Amino acid sequence: MSDPIIEVHQLSHIYQTGATYKAALMDIDLEVARGSCVALIGVTGSGKTTLIQHFNGLLRPTTGTVLVDGIDVGANNADLRALRQRVGMLFQFPETQLFERTVYADVAFGPQRMKLGRHEVRARVIAALEMVGLPHREFAWRSPLDLSGGQKRRVALAGVLAMSPSILILDEPTVGLDAEARAEFYAYLHHVRQTQGTTIILVTHDMTEVALLAEQLFVLADGRLVLQGTPRHVFTQVDQLHEWGLAAPPLHQLLLLLRKRGLALPPALFTFEEVFTALVSIPCGLEKNVNPASSHRE
Amino acid sequence: MRAGPLLDIQHVTYSYPVPERPQAENPAIPVLRDLSLQIQEGEYVVLLGHNGSGKSTLARLCNGLLLPDSGRVLVDGHDTSDAKQLRRIRESVGMVFQNPDNQLIATVVEDDVAWGLAVRGWPRSAIKERVDAAMAAVGIAGLSHLPPSRLSGGQRQRVALAGIVALRPRCIITDEATSMLDPLSRQEITGLLHQLHQEQNLTLIQITHLLEEAALAQRVVVMSEGQVVLDGPPAMIFRNLPLLHALKLEIPEPLLLAERLRQSGLPISPDVVTLSAIAEELVP
Repeated sequence: MSDPIIEVHQLSHIYQTGATYKAALMDIDLEVARGSCVALIGVTGSGKTTLIQHFNGLLRPTTGTVLVDGIDVGANNADLRALRQRVGMLFQFPETQLFERTVYADVAFGPQRMKLGRHEVRARVIAALEMVGLPHREFAWRSPLDLSGGQKRRVALAGVLAMSPSILILDEPTVGLDAEARAEFYAYLHHVRQTQGTTIILVTHDMTEVALLAEQLFVLADGRLVLQGTPRHVFTQVDQLHEWGLAAPPLHQLLLLLRKRGLALPPALFTFEEVFTALVSIPCGLEKNVNPASSHRE
Repeated sequence: MRAGPLLDIQHVTYSYPVPERPQAENPAIPVLRDLSLQIQEGEYVVLLGHNGSGKSTLARLCNGLLLPDSGRVLVDGHDTSDAKQLRRIRESVGMVFQNPDNQLIATVVEDDVAWGLAVRGWPRSAIKERVDAAMAAVGIAGLSHLPPSRLSGGQRQRVALAGIVALRPRCIITDEATSMLDPLSRQEITGLLHQLHQEQNLTLIQITHLLEEAALAQRVVVMSEGQVVLDGPPAMIFRNLPLLHALKLEIPEPLLLAERLRQSGLPISPDVVTLSAIAEELVP
């Protein structure tokens, strides 16, 4: 890869509780390209959280190396302060962490801790609020508690963006949001990526979300990196994903069911349109359906 | 006993109190508006709606966690505003919430499941019997001595569910109980609820914004802006995809696909709503 922003070599992480050791990550090798959007998928306990905690220095490797934007996270003299300014993290249900009386104060919290000048802080807050679709004239002086769920979550995102991170890590960013709020969140995320060139790392269970946003997927199971590739590549392995406790998006589950029922479909179907085109153009398997009894059912 | 509905919600209106400001400046916006809904004993109802449509508020009115501003809620004929009946009402209607961690309190699974019975002063032997039965019913019998922190999200949600099942309520309301889980655990919990309903004649109200979770239900109630806008069996509800989309619900791709294929002339019955049923229609 020409310009990786994250390079992980032979990373293992072992947790010790009392006399027992548990390997949370084993021999992970991966690279994330600068400016790309990637996703980590895996069931609870597969090591996703442990892995991302290495990206902002909350954890250090037991063995192996993790280089993030040139900083060696495992080094004794690693500049963790610089690292954490470059790596923004949005945790699950981030709206529960909003605590200030106004939207402005909440978004300004991070930049103020970076000891930036007052004008710089103000400029960053305004820019960050614009980026997530909450114009400051309308929203800056409102209480975060008066906003809708989707808006609150975007305030939390703005708080991270105001620190101008080069990498943005989002842990289950749209859980609990309805379809509309979710689509809005994606649109603003896309906008951030386009305008800021931010590298985005998603940690999520939502496969439809992954298929929509990420270019590269990393599948973790029991602390190991078991599969990586484009969504198109990963989601065709429906049976294998099941083995790791993961489900492919519903559309791909349907394809598996159809294949199991003996329908011959091209192997690499991925998008909705591709599936639709394939199904309307294979009349043989479906013709049996055309009988007077079923066509009068509506 | 009476043969009326188990839950009888009559013309309720509710707004959350806004303490800090004078009413005139910021009049409270009602979350529920003149809503009526009857649920019979033994029904399996999925309550769908977008964020802020009022579904969680409605759930909290069903066991007296909140009281309506106007109208009334009857649980098996008892008014939730009657404080003397509250204990009985809460024994009839149990709730499971989104985040199991907010509901788990004990240090090992068994104690957590037993908690609700213990605070009600049940004798030890009876508690043991009910706890064992509840844990077996939700499939966590082998985990009784583990701390909840060692369990996966799906297992923790099962523990929370077992704690409610142990109380043997007549009705369980789950409020987005699967939204924090991964897709397989989500399917498992939904399957488990379906099974509990079938085996124990439990009245089940499952609150979700995921359309695919509604396919197994007997009845789907869709809320928007504090009112019931659709009410019927899943096949009927799923027939109007554009309306569901307008109600800010995400349509699963297989349903969209079935609809598109139908429009292109393939004879797919509009009654099929589950993945396997769609597959069967396409390849009989």
